[in-house]
Amino acid sequence: MLQAIALTKYYASIPAVQNLTFDLKAGQILGCLGPNGSGKSTTVKMITGLLEPSRGRVLFRGEDIRRDLVGFRKNLGYVPEEPNLYPYLSGREYLEMVGILRGIPQSRLGKKVDSLLALLSLHPSRHSAIASYSKGMRQRVLLIAALLDDPEVLILDEPLSGLDVSSAMVLKNLIRALGQQGKAIFYCSHVLEVVERVCSHLLILRQGTVLASGPTGDIQKRIGHASLEGTFHHLVEDVDPDKVTREILDIIRAA
Amino acid sequence: MIRRTSLVAKWEAHVREPFPLLVRLSMNRIFHGTNGGEEEGLTISMGLLLALLAIPGGFVSIFLFDKYGSFLQWLRGQTNFDPLAAALPDEYFFIVLSMVVTGGIAVWWWDSIFPDRRDFTNLAHLPIPASRIFLANSVAILILTYVCAIDVNAASSILFPVIVGASQPKFSFMAQFAGVHALVVVLASIFSFFAVFATAGLLMLLLPYPLFRRISFYVRTLIATVLLATLSTSFAIPRMIRDLPRTSHSPLRFLPSAWFLGLCQLLRGRADRALAELGHVAMVALLSACAVAAAAYTLAYRRCFVRLSELADTPPGNLGTRTSWIFHLLDRLIFRTPFQRAGYRFVLKTLFRNEAHALALGGFLSLGVVFASQTLLSALNGKGISPLPTANELSIPLILGYCLLLGVRFVFDFPAYLQANWIFRFLLDGNIIYESIALARRVMLCFVAPWILLVAVPTYVYFWGWTIGFLHIGVLTLWLWLLTEVLLVDFHKLPFACAYPSFQPSAVVAMIAFVLGYFAFTAMTADLEAKALVSPGVGGVFLVISLGVWYTVYGIRRSVVGIDNHLMFEDAPARHFEFLHLSDDG
Ligand SMILES: Nc1ncnc2c1ncn2[C@@H]1O[C@H](COP(=O)(O)OP(=O)(O)OP(=O)(O)O)[C@@H](O)[C@H]1O
Ligand SMILES: [Mg+2]
Repeated sequence: MLQAIALTKYYASIPAVQNLTFDLKAGQILGCLGPNGSGKSTTVKMITGLLEPSRGRVLFRGEDIRRDLVGFRKNLGYVPEEPNLYPYLSGREYLEMVGILRGIPQSRLGKKVDSLLALLSLHPSRHSAIASYSKGMRQRVLLIAALLDDPEVLILDEPLSGLDVSSAMVLKNLIRALGQQGKAIFYCSHVLEVVERVCSHLLILRQGTVLASGPTGDIQKRIGHASLEGTFHHLVEDVDPDKVTREILDIIRAA
Repeated sequence: MIRRTSLVAKWEAHVREPFPLLVRLSMNRIFHGTNGGEEEGLTISMGLLLALLAIPGGFVSIFLFDKYGSFLQWLRGQTNFDPLAAALPDEYFFIVLSMVVTGGIAVWWWDSIFPDRRDFTNLAHLPIPASRIFLANSVAILILTYVCAIDVNAASSILFPVIVGASQPKFSFMAQFAGVHALVVVLASIFSFFAVFATAGLLMLLLPYPLFRRISFYVRTLIATVLLATLSTSFAIPRMIRDLPRTSHSPLRFLPSAWFLGLCQLLRGRADRALAELGHVAMVALLSACAVAAAAYTLAYRRCFVRLSELADTPPGNLGTRTSWIFHLLDRLIFRTPFQRAGYRFVLKTLFRNEAHALALGGFLSLGVVFASQTLLSALNGKGISPLPTANELSIPLILGYCLLLGVRFVFDFPAYLQANWIFRFLLDGNIIYESIALARRVMLCFVAPWILLVAVPTYVYFWGWTIGFLHIGVLTLWLWLLTEVLLVDFHKLPFACAYPSFQPSAVVAMIAFVLGYFAFTAMTADLEAKALVSPGVGGVFLVISLGVWYTVYGIRRSVVGIDNHLMFEDAPARHFEFLHLSDDG
């Protein structure tokens, strides 16, 4: 459903993403992994059409998304990395605004927003300004905004950040269920357990390039690690956590 | 050389010490507002602000060159010329100007004189005594107050004495004149600053915090209006001051700017008994403003900063469903497409829940009210109602409409919380530029239409009958609509959602256009209308002008949209060259 072809992004001649290619089919949940600064959010911004790639294309149902961004976004739900919401609107007002802009008839909108707010335990504070919301509450508002119009493609950039245990469980189940219903989901996260359990496919990035991609089981089999954590460390060869810990302790203790 | 570098190094080391660092932090916050940097719209750099503040004084002084120059020519041959008496009205004007400008700054900084939530989260958990933070904040306020007071008056303190003293042979006269002038205007500035701060501190102290937040917008608008009114009446006051000894109950006793004129004359040794009294009042007022401000500030600080983490940072205005019937009504009547419906809700809420935006609009409104009431006063000036309205009487709604429409258009350009505009970038694309113009037009007209219908129509019909009433309302409506179209001629954005280039060289041009437009829109139109009421043939001019304006707007808009019909989210200054994408295939 959503294809990226040789996506490349330079920020002032510094490459953030290079030659990224993937194909996200209906019903697939593609987990995007990578250390900080590896280009996950940059990729997300490019495939939502918020950032223009330096090279490469993004296709939705075989057509370049730039041809018809509006049509593409009608089918797209997006949870950005940072919950930047208008702090002086209430949660309900914000969601109503999003719903109206998405063209949901007002007769259905109010009820829909209220029910979703209630289900995500935001009902008591629906009339308070978002400025007074906690991080997790903001994140839940973002999730509702993304799901409001039943999109075909969901792009989630660290959607679990700040969520409490039960909301996180709801979200994980929800993502799996949406995948089973045939939605295409692009899921960026640092939480390996969740990715392992939820995602059917993986895309592992380091410094803007793809290290591995394919069905989750295949990658793990190829590397030969039973856990995703082992696979990830094998691929990314990030840092040795024990060694770094020791060094940090040494520096702190030194007078 | 070595000495110098060591001095620089010492200074740098000193600035990095905790206390100066805290002071700098406080100054930054006061300067950039409590949202500091997040609110990218209405912040300007210190240098630019200082330059802008110094401009009015310099400007007015330069105007005076002409006055005193021709004065001198006219006086040639006259021997009993008294420069001090001649300079009295200008002296008064400078005092008012300095009070208005510094008072305006204090109103602007109203919210940011106290440490805010971010200061709290960043500093409160560090091992710094609370008293240190308090002291640093106080020092920052004092520094900024004195810098502003000196900056606002710098130009006039140099130029004005030179201009006045040019007629005198002795240099000592000029030096003395300059000394007294500088001292008085700076004291007046400081008084004005601390009077506003004392008001803020007292309100904060006496009212519960949420109530304080809610009413502070109205109080600030009120103070701004009073300041503007003082400025615009300053031409009438010097005459009253000359008559002061002969009037027993002069209202001047309650006018702070008159107190400081009294102080000035007292220092010059030119005060009669009444003026000397005013001068003493000035001293007492100055001291009590400082004392009240300091006390209220200290107590309010203790009360608020310590509990800052408990107090919700709610925006002014009430949220909830109480106003939803208004929106439903507007949905039915005016805003018909989903874009417009979502858009005007966003625009109205943004406007009224962001104090800076509401305050800027309030400033324009109070400008309108001040101008309109002045016009009304000179229209009424002892005469009854004539059978045909005069130009002054006709121009009042035009003045109010002009200031309101320009105010709304002006605030549209300032972004609110830009980080959140990704939702619009994400949801809106494609050629909805006509939709965004329609939205902006309707919102602007919503601000002027109600009072035209509810206030202007009944008033004109009551005083001058149906025919003249409706003719005038017709012209008024047509003119306001045309003005809206002109203001939106190349509107390419969603209000409040577009980044603004940090430096606007066009600001000066816009200021001049505002003044010229004011005269064209109000005085000239009203004159023409008054003539047309006497000889109806003149009315044809209205038709010609409106057709011309409409045709021009239509033409420009078509050519603009022809180039680019996308909404802008970054109002970058025009690029001088475009990169050629030679490497792209195709
Ligand atoms: N606006 C920008 N200007 C310049 N460089 C940027 C910009 N945004 C991102 N980068 C750079 O691009 C690279 C990729 O950043 P990106 O935000 O995509 O990382 P990420 O994988 O999402 O990291 P994280 O896990 O921390 O969210 C980083 O090196 C970052 O410094
Ligand atoms: Mg990221």
